[in-house]
Amino acid sequence: MEITPSELGLVARVTNLTKSYGSAPNTVTALDDVSIGIRRGEFTAIMGPSGSGKSTLMHIMAGLDTPTDGRAWLADTEITAMGDSELTVLRRRRVGFVFQAFNLVPTLDVRGNIVLPFELDGRRPTVVEKDWIEQLIDSLGLANRLTHRPYELSGGQQQRVAIARALATKPDLVFADEPTGNLDSRSGREVLALLAAASASYGQSIAMVTHDPIAASHADRIIFLADGRVVEERGRSSAEEISRIMLGMEQRV
Amino acid sequence: MRAMGRGREHGSSILVAALSSAFGVVLIQVTGALSFMISADNIGRSTTVRMMLAIVAFVFIVIAVYVGSIVTVNTFATIIAGRTRTIALLRLIGSSARAQRRAVAAEGFWVGVVGASIGALAGTAMSIGTVRIAVAQSVVPDLDYPLFDPLIAAPILIVVLSTWLASWVGSRRVLTVSPMQAVGASGELSREETLSRTGRNLTAVVLGVTGLLLLGGGVLLGLISPLGILVGMVGGMLSFSGLILGSHLVMPSILRLTGRLLGRSASARLAAANALRYPERSSRATIGLVIGVTLITMFAVAGASYQDMMARAQAAQPEVYQGVDKVVAVTVAIFSVLIGFSALIAAVGMVNNLALSVLQRTRELGLLRALGFTAKQVRRMILAESTQMTIAAVGLGLILGVFYGWAGAQSLLGAQDGVGVIAPSIPWLLVVLCVVGAAALTLAASVSPARRATTVSPVVALAAD
Ligand SMILES: Nc1ncnc2c1ncn2[C@@H]1O[C@H](COP(=O)(O)OP(=O)(O)O)[C@@H](O)[C@H]1O
Ligand SMILES: [Mg+2]
Repeated sequence: MEITPSELGLVARVTNLTKSYGSAPNTVTALDDVSIGIRRGEFTAIMGPSGSGKSTLMHIMAGLDTPTDGRAWLADTEITAMGDSELTVLRRRRVGFVFQAFNLVPTLDVRGNIVLPFELDGRRPTVVEKDWIEQLIDSLGLANRLTHRPYELSGGQQQRVAIARALATKPDLVFADEPTGNLDSRSGREVLALLAAASASYGQSIAMVTHDPIAASHADRIIFLADGRVVEERGRSSAEEISRIMLGMEQRV
Repeated sequence: MRAMGRGREHGSSILVAALSSAFGVVLIQVTGALSFMISADNIGRSTTVRMMLAIVAFVFIVIAVYVGSIVTVNTFATIIAGRTRTIALLRLIGSSARAQRRAVAAEGFWVGVVGASIGALAGTAMSIGTVRIAVAQSVVPDLDYPLFDPLIAAPILIVVLSTWLASWVGSRRVLTVSPMQAVGASGELSREETLSRTGRNLTAVVLGVTGLLLLGGGVLLGLISPLGILVGMVGGMLSFSGLILGSHLVMPSILRLTGRLLGRSASARLAAANALRYPERSSRATIGLVIGVTLITMFAVAGASYQDMMARAQAAQPEVYQGVDKVVAVTVAIFSVLIGFSALIAAVGMVNNLALSVLQRTRELGLLRALGFTAKQVRRMILAESTQMTIAAVGLGLILGVFYGWAGAQSLLGAQDGVGVIAPSIPWLLVVLCVVGAAALTLAASVSPARRATTVSPVVALAAD
């Protein structure tokens, strides 16, 4: 009998994950035997230099991509065994996304984008969910933007809409891939504070991919990736400490 | 890689240019052979007949080129919309907007040259073949028909120039691309921005109103003289051009109506919103079909009304109009075939435009897939969008065609004895065929690009430009 991820307090887990692209002589190994767990209720950062395999890892954990080898779970569901339509429904109901850019459907206004996951599910939010959405809209400062369309918003505002959408369904896990990558430092800080607050006050589990030590310093826990392998793991750290670890990693290579 | 991309982008414009030029060449060669045959037969009548045939051929070539040009303008506008990011990036690193536009127009020039040449070759081969077959079948006498009519240079040149011009007009949006768009999101104009372009809108309204007034005048004048058709024709062309220019103002309202027919599922609602929120995109995709359906319906209604009026005139004065119905039927049939060709060009444009705009939305579709839209839902959404646009286009085209066709017949023949004002005769079989044909087109235009768009993984789609 296997121990389930949730018995370990994990909301997501991957074991011996490998992902390679291309065939024989030109294979690129993006992930090389990666095993990690994301703890429930925590804000976890997956940190590493560009090209280290962070996005690939996130895509597999979120059911957007399939590994070459290894297994992945979301809560107690093994997603590596699922077909495309099951994965689609899983993403819709149990995962939230915040991407670096192009997060919002350009044809929908702010409210339309926020309730999109419910629409995709073919239903309207329940009364409780509606209250939750209103609360999110207020706390993210979007109340007077609801009828605006993405191109009318600043980058920071667009990311806040994406966060509201990601939190709206109270998913098991929110994935954020370089959510501040396109933002100026002030809007970036705001977005990070909002993510940290969502985790601290609502117990939302969040996994954020980033190469920015300042962004990672908002997280409860930091997993370091280099060349497709996990090389370090730390609890909450300051940006300086994180930079030092990153520099150390580079020198080792 | 890039050249391949361009090939796919321009494939349909080349096809449209080739079709127009082949059509022109065949018409001129065949009418040339006909006049040659007649002149061998009867010297006296030949010049007038030759003139008449040339005028008829010319009118149909102009219609085909007009339709082809509008299709090409739209195709180029769609291509530019898809290249916004690349253009913005080039602008960012220092290229001027005018240089960018010139580059696009140069592409248009070569599209025109290649398309017109292919069409000219195919057209010449076809017309020589047709004449040979006709001779072999003893349909026409075996004469020393000229191999090349020097007049075929005209359609070839017209096609090259009109394609070039169309690419120039279609690329005007290059000028509005700002370097900032290299970093920001997409650049389609929203309805608000569309509405604010007062210059173009004003022109559209002025053209439309003037055209309608002239058309009304033509119908009234037609009650006393067949010359009404001349006034009516000018009115028809002006008002139709106004409609095309202002299509981004008209289409959304019609699309809103047809969008309601799609139902309330997530796919349907998103589809309805998509078609509406980008009036530029949806007008571009639909206007070709509107033109095609309008042309076919117009000629069919004009033909049927014409036959109707002839029947009335015949009833009033049997001796004057003896045997005329047969001639009318043959003329209507030939004209229908000729106009069907322009409709074909419009169809090519519509299919291509829809396919291109689906391809350009790879990223948006990838996002929907990532957020939990199944591949099937995405396909259904695209199909719903196309359906909505097709219904709108066919509906508008039918209404316009009936109106223009009736006005044409009325202004030409209203003055005949015993005719007066009649209701338009609508050939219902044709209406049904139009609807069926359009439905088939919609399927053809959206199923395969939608399938392609959903077979790539959401990860790849999200990384697309
Ligand atoms: N579709 C792909 N085909 C080939 N190689 C890829 C593909 N996607 C990613 N890679 C490679 O995998 C490695 C990890 O990429 P990625 O996960 O995007 O890194 P990160 O997000 O950390 O910058 C890189 O070397 C990248 O070039
Ligand atoms: Mg990445």
